[in-house]
Amino acid sequence: MTERFPGYDVLAKRDTPSWNDASRRVIDHRLALEDEPRFLTQDEWRLLVALCDRIVPQPPHRPRIPVAVLIDRKLQQDQGDGYRQASMPPLRQAWRQGLHALNEEARLRFGGNFVELAPGQQDALLELLARDQVRSEAWQGLGAKSFFKGRALHDIGSSYYAFPESWNQIGFGGPASPRGYVRMDFNRRDPWEAVESKHV
Amino acid sequence: MSEIVPQVPRARDGRAPDVFHVGGWVPMREYADDDEVDFAIIGTGAGGGTLACRLSEAGFSVVALDVGPYWRPLEDFASDEHEQFKLYWRDERIVDGTDALQLGRNNSGQSVGGSMVHFAMVSLRFRPEWFKARSQLGYGHDWPVDWREMWRYYGEVEEALKIAGPVRYPWGPHRPRYPYRAHELNAAARVLARGSEALGIKWAPTPLATLSAPRGDAHPCVYRGFCIAGCSTNAKQSALTTWIPRALAAGAEIRDLAMVGRIELGNSGRVTGLHYHREGRWRFQRARHVVVAGYSIETPRLLLNSACPRFPDGLANSSGLVGHNLMAHSNQGVYGVMEDEIRWYKGPPSLAITEHWNYTDEGKDFHGGYSYMSQGPLPVEWVGTMTGNRGLWGEALQREMQKYIHQAGLKIVGETQARDENRVRLADEKDRFGLPVAHVTFSYGDNDHRLIAHAKRFMRDSLAAAGARDIWAEESETAHLMGTCRMGDDPSTSVTNADGRSWDIPNLWICDGSLFPTSGGVNPSLTIQALACRAADRIKLLAKRGEL
Amino acid sequence: MRAAKLRHDRRLSRLPALLSAAPPSPRPKPDVQALSTRAARRLNRGCAWLSAAVLADSAVEHYRGMFFNRAMYAPLAVSSLTLAASVHGGSDRSGKSHPVRDGIYALAALTGLAGTGFHLYNVGKREGGFSFENLFYCAPVGAPFALLLAGLFGRAAERVRDTAPGDVPQLFGLPAGRALAGASALGMMGTVGEVGLLHFRGAYHDPFMFLPVSVPPAAAATMAAVAVQPKRPRWRLARLLLRLVQGLGFAGVGFHAYGVHRNMGGWRNWSQTMLNGPPLPAPPSFTGLALVGLAALDLLEERHD
Repeated sequence: MTERFPGYDVLAKRDTPSWNDASRRVIDHRLALEDEPRFLTQDEWRLLVALCDRIVPQPPHRPRIPVAVLIDRKLQQDQGDGYRQASMPPLRQAWRQGLHALNEEARLRFGGNFVELAPGQQDALLELLARDQVRSEAWQGLGAKSFFKGRALHDIGSSYYAFPESWNQIGFGGPASPRGYVRMDFNRRDPWEAVESKHV
Repeated sequence: MSEIVPQVPRARDGRAPDVFHVGGWVPMREYADDDEVDFAIIGTGAGGGTLACRLSEAGFSVVALDVGPYWRPLEDFASDEHEQFKLYWRDERIVDGTDALQLGRNNSGQSVGGSMVHFAMVSLRFRPEWFKARSQLGYGHDWPVDWREMWRYYGEVEEALKIAGPVRYPWGPHRPRYPYRAHELNAAARVLARGSEALGIKWAPTPLATLSAPRGDAHPCVYRGFCIAGCSTNAKQSALTTWIPRALAAGAEIRDLAMVGRIELGNSGRVTGLHYHREGRWRFQRARHVVVAGYSIETPRLLLNSACPRFPDGLANSSGLVGHNLMAHSNQGVYGVMEDEIRWYKGPPSLAITEHWNYTDEGKDFHGGYSYMSQGPLPVEWVGTMTGNRGLWGEALQREMQKYIHQAGLKIVGETQARDENRVRLADEKDRFGLPVAHVTFSYGDNDHRLIAHAKRFMRDSLAAAGARDIWAEESETAHLMGTCRMGDDPSTSVTNADGRSWDIPNLWICDGSLFPTSGGVNPSLTIQALACRAADRIKLLAKRGEL
Repeated sequence: MRAAKLRHDRRLSRLPALLSAAPPSPRPKPDVQALSTRAARRLNRGCAWLSAAVLADSAVEHYRGMFFNRAMYAPLAVSSLTLAASVHGGSDRSGKSHPVRDGIYALAALTGLAGTGFHLYNVGKREGGFSFENLFYCAPVGAPFALLLAGLFGRAAERVRDTAPGDVPQLFGLPAGRALAGASALGMMGTVGEVGLLHFRGAYHDPFMFLPVSVPPAAAATMAAVAVQPKRPRWRLARLLLRLVQGLGFAGVGFHAYGVHRNMGGWRNWSQTMLNGPPLPAPPSFTGLALVGLAALDLLEERHD
């Protein structure tokens, strides 16, 4: 895929009026997170990273976004969303069980650990989860579709789009305070916004 | 995950944060737990914050408690969706039902200032007939208040918040001019306008509680677009930046990071105060009157958690209605891709609105009405819509996300009918304070489904007429909460009277969106504040008459 | 007192001349120079302020509009020429009109007229048509009007200059003093209309925002009265009010600079606040219009002296 916003880097605005101190502090902290698990085991971590790669495949030739790290830290702090489906276990339990069940399902269907499957096989497996067509007993009390949509897609999507690199990819302006925007009409752009390539 | 969160109370030692200055303070009067204050108010949002201001200005002694932190937006708010999750209520709640609610962003906050700190600033009046929905429109319940009285209080709130609205509002009876002028439209709003004109209906710039000109220490809006992640410039006129500073100046005390667990009932049949948790221990604040203003989930939760031998089903619950008839606005969005660059992340998310289907009764196969507004979700919210509603993932998800700056959308605030089975009760699970958490059940009814289907059809047509393609609609989305402690004229079918005074306990009051008998097709914050202003005036009057 | 005021006024009105690249010319002897030429020069200086305001304002606003349409460069080019012509005229003591200046002024008037048309079209085609919101935020209808005025008053300056010594200058079949008094009143009221609209957009949040919608109308009313009945006692009041309007044009820049500071991030965030805050270059239009009014009074004095 051709890059849509060639040369655009949200981080280049870090020292402009688009960023206040609070934004700098928060983003600096996020970018400094060590890409290592603090809560999950190494096996769970590798599984989560592989899962993230299928849910939000990253474009080649772009800096890699450490998607899994935000989920691990969310689990470490046991920071829920403020609501939980009555049918779902609490956050930590849901992720632990979901990752375990995903691997069990992989072994049952393809005879190997999830991380060892080819991307095509991994996608096929996830498609089954999305349709709740699973065989493993390990999904008991969680539900494959509930986990996949309610936990995995929710948390992974949210983590990916929390990183400045993802904003570069979609042309989002990123932090904007004290300087917000002046030109808001159709096809208008402030000089500090991304330029869309004419070749997409 | 949030980096900038106060861990200890800020409002103490005779001072409270000055929201308008980095590191600033304003003096604050303080009361001892043993002082029997006139009013102890639980919650400082649209209901509690407004009431605290109006009662303290009337000379009553007031302590208002909130479980959330006391922010200084200028220094505490980052331009970052993840960080700003800290504004939402994130303590556990259990949800179920066929349309289980997603709580947080759209409906519940945990801050001094309540969910107004992250509200989308849409400030609309109820259609007059809605206050008599049963007798004039044939559905729902009548409110125990007259629309003309409410419209007077709307005027007061609009002035207090310097609402920026259109010079001429195209629906409903004449209203006074909005204090500030409407904001410039962004491209996303012009898509709504184009569609409306193509379909021959009226539209308007949305009346918003964000400044279009300077006001005191607050700056006008810079169109940064992070409104529902909290306004870091104080352009947003929330309880935090309007009512609460006024309350402090009038002598009220605000207690942040203070969780109320139980309201105490005395032998006389009146409440005597409340138990609250602050700085690591449980304390008891004496009060002549207690006002619950925790919104549609926390208000019934506290009343139910305050059950005692005399009221084993919870306080103020002789009608059995506490927690019942929860309403959530339907909030389905319709989205499409435009040839033009829209860049909907700029400006307040809902700069244009049509209330056509709130004020038109012909051509409907359902009761109630809906408004719809232009949209501007930021990336984290947008990806949540893509995964949550469309179930997209993998290359398909990333391909759709690539169209971000070309997206436009319309979203309803749809009236839902009060239904007994939609309710808040207590779960077995306990929260960090050891209190049973809320279990919230919600499902749309048949009428709600018909309204949603009508709205989706109409918005699809509107988007298509404006030039969008690849149009799709969300399924199960909900927004604001209303009901669970409805007001009324009859103690057997309501929890409080028109003033929010509970029928069962004369010095226990409710002042928030849980009072709503019906939901209306507009965002509820303006009506909650108007009810609070009205309640304050009524309390003043009752006090003068010796009827408190 | 009066002499001091006059000196003060001369200093102010010489500002554009001082800013021009041309070396300062020796000070003329007023009794030698025809009074009509002096009035013409004052008119030129008024046009200089008007065109300078248009140049700066259209540069800022059309930059904000990303020069989306090529025609958006036109007011920059034409107001630059008009400014140059006006500065030239302001220091030109010749008793004859200048064909190039005259042509430029005609071009300015036409451009102003065309611009008004463009801006009206921009507002009208927008959803909502000629609603308050579109008048606030679309291309401002009143802005090109200032260029139209610069052109018209510039043309008037050339006509006045052509008056033979001893003759009473005429415009549109009227004594030029009266015609210009009326025209300056109309010009001021048009500008007041635009200011009133935009300060309404700002909800008159600062009481000082009422100044430019109260003082210039008073001046305009007095000038209108002068145009109808040019009685000498009115001139004094008119002069006083015109001086106030002239000063308001400068003070307005200061107020607007304060207004920019009142936006989030203040001057540090200039790349936004200069554009979203009150327009710095707008108020000096009043200075230009006041000079036109003063020139009209000069002509009336000549006629009566």
